Amino acid sequence: MIEARELSKHFKDGKRGLVRAVDGISFECKGGEVYGLLGPNGAGKTTTLRLLSTSLRPTSGTALVNGIDVVSNPEKVRSQIGFLSGNTGIYGRLTPREMVGYFGELYGMSDEIITKRTDEVFSMLDMHDFADVRNEKLSTGMKQKVSIARAVIHDPPVMVFDEPTTGLDVMSSRTIVEFIRRCRDENKCVIFSTHIMSEAMRLCDRAAIIHKGRIFASGSIQEILERAGEDNLEDAFIKIVGE
Amino acid sequence: MRLRTVRAIYRKEMKETIRDRRTLVLMIVVPVLAIPLLMMFSTHLMISQFKRVAEETSRVAVMGAEHLPEELGRNLGEAEGLSLETRAALSDRDSTAWMKALDEGELDVVLIVPPGFERALLDESPTKIEIAYDKAEIRSDMAADKVSGLLESYRDDVVRDRLRQRDIPEEVILPFESVLRNMASARKLAGQSIGGLLPYLIILMCFTGAMYPAIDLAAGEKERGTLETLLVSPASRGEFVIGKYLVVLTTGIIAAALSLASLLAWVKYMAGIMGGAGEEETLVGLQFDPATVGLILLMMLPTAAIFGGVLLSISVFARSFKEAQNYITAFMMIILFPAFVSLVPGIKLSHRMALIPIVNVSLTIKTALSGTLEWSYAATAGLSMAVLAALILLFVKKWFERESVLFRM
Repeated sequence: MIEARELSKHFKDGKRGLVRAVDGISFECKGGEVYGLLGPNGAGKTTTLRLLSTSLRPTSGTALVNGIDVVSNPEKVRSQIGFLSGNTGIYGRLTPREMVGYFGELYGMSDEIITKRTDEVFSMLDMHDFADVRNEKLSTGMKQKVSIARAVIHDPPVMVFDEPTTGLDVMSSRTIVEFIRRCRDENKCVIFSTHIMSEAMRLCDRAAIIHKGRIFASGSIQEILERAGEDNLEDAFIKIVGE
Repeated sequence: MRLRTVRAIYRKEMKETIRDRRTLVLMIVVPVLAIPLLMMFSTHLMISQFKRVAEETSRVAVMGAEHLPEELGRNLGEAEGLSLETRAALSDRDSTAWMKALDEGELDVVLIVPPGFERALLDESPTKIEIAYDKAEIRSDMAADKVSGLLESYRDDVVRDRLRQRDIPEEVILPFESVLRNMASARKLAGQSIGGLLPYLIILMCFTGAMYPAIDLAAGEKERGTLETLLVSPASRGEFVIGKYLVVLTTGIIAAALSLASLLAWVKYMAGIMGGAGEEETLVGLQFDPATVGLILLMMLPTAAIFGGVLLSISVFARSFKEAQNYITAFMMIILFPAFVSLVPGIKLSHRMALIPIVNVSLTIKTALSGTLEWSYAATAGLSMAVLAALILLFVKKWFERESVLFRM
């Protein structure tokens, strides 16, 4: 479902000169699988996910999302993806129903389908009680659900999560983790980034360890642990990255 | 570009904008209420201040009152609104003390009568009388006017007496009268005085009306983290720029139109209450027929488009709401300076002036209000603004495609 081929993104930065945020990354992630991008802050995880979701254009290389090329057909790629990050916000002055409906319209869905699908998603996330309350009045957990509903209104085959639990409390994190599992069970292709190794161990089927824009190791969690000769992902990570 | 997507974005942004109290205040409440209230208040304050000073008794001290002819002394003493303080002695010490009192505002005027003044009048030898006053003080200036008026009419009496004694008719020294006749039409006068203020205010309202939506729609989205969700939706950059741009444009136009309507109501009201004060001709007669109002709105359209484009560009460049606000406040000075030109007397609309953005709008509205607009200038101004607006729109579209701008964190 996702196939990154020698994906690179270089920035020019006033102070640091040329920054190779992502430097020739290749990996593959299938449907019904949760693929983790593990690495510290600044490793290139977010940039990689932005390249996959086409909000950034790669400097070189490309990726296929559900068979569609991110470079030649970015707008089509976006309709295949549901994107959620720890930082993605919601519109405070809209209600959950209005906000989700708005994104439905952006995804080109008809009014009829939007109504039907909104109802489905709100039932799935148990959101009917606050569907017509302004977002700014909702609790953090409720807001998180609005974000999820926004990301899945168009029932995308591919889900991209960028550090989805960053800054969330235990309850909200749990909602996200459960939701990721549900996506996998629905046979979606899930890619997610995190710097929390325990979260990766619980969720990922396969993973890649990213550091300084490059993949240092990849495979199933078990394979990565065996390669490093450690039984804990955090120690394995430190050993592989070599610091 | 899909129309349905642009419409969806426009509708959603408009809904959010209307639900934002800050925007509503700047887009509707300020143009409709605050400005007319402010102007009404300041005008009233000015008038009442003026009236108060005019009605107040002026304190006049006469130095050397014993040298005053009896009749003049009586005239001064009986004059309305003057309280006379006389002192016979004219020592240097008194003189200094009185000047100090004048300086400190305890006295409004000191009339200095030289020794032998009355004698000189009888002898028909030249003499002079001094009125010391403080021109920086309205009170003192007005008191000096009153006193000098009294002195002049007394002088005329003296002249008339002398002529009569010699059997000379008055016409000998008054061969003709010159009369000032004001030929400016009421409309022209109005256009020049408050007509200069209106374009400035309308342009200002248009800018501030569009300001908050512009900040909210770009920098606000960045700050809240919703910009990223928009970027990963299938809406193209072009679609969401146009959608947002049209919202900012709408709010700018609404604010300009509302301020125009409310200023119009204010002018009518002021013309009504000031009718009796003899100021009528400077207020009524402003050209407010449908064609002029239409022209003003037509001129405000590219103005709002330019403001909208520039504001959105600044806003999307900023990392946060606050940063956008800072940039825009600085920018406001630059953009409102040319609008100020309508307040400067003597600057006329020419083809060259009509090419300078904002200046041309300001001057076109001003001349249209005074009813002296030449349509070729208006066409040049409109064309110049439209071209600039189109260029800015193209720039905004390119600007929103830059990753370094969108992801400037």
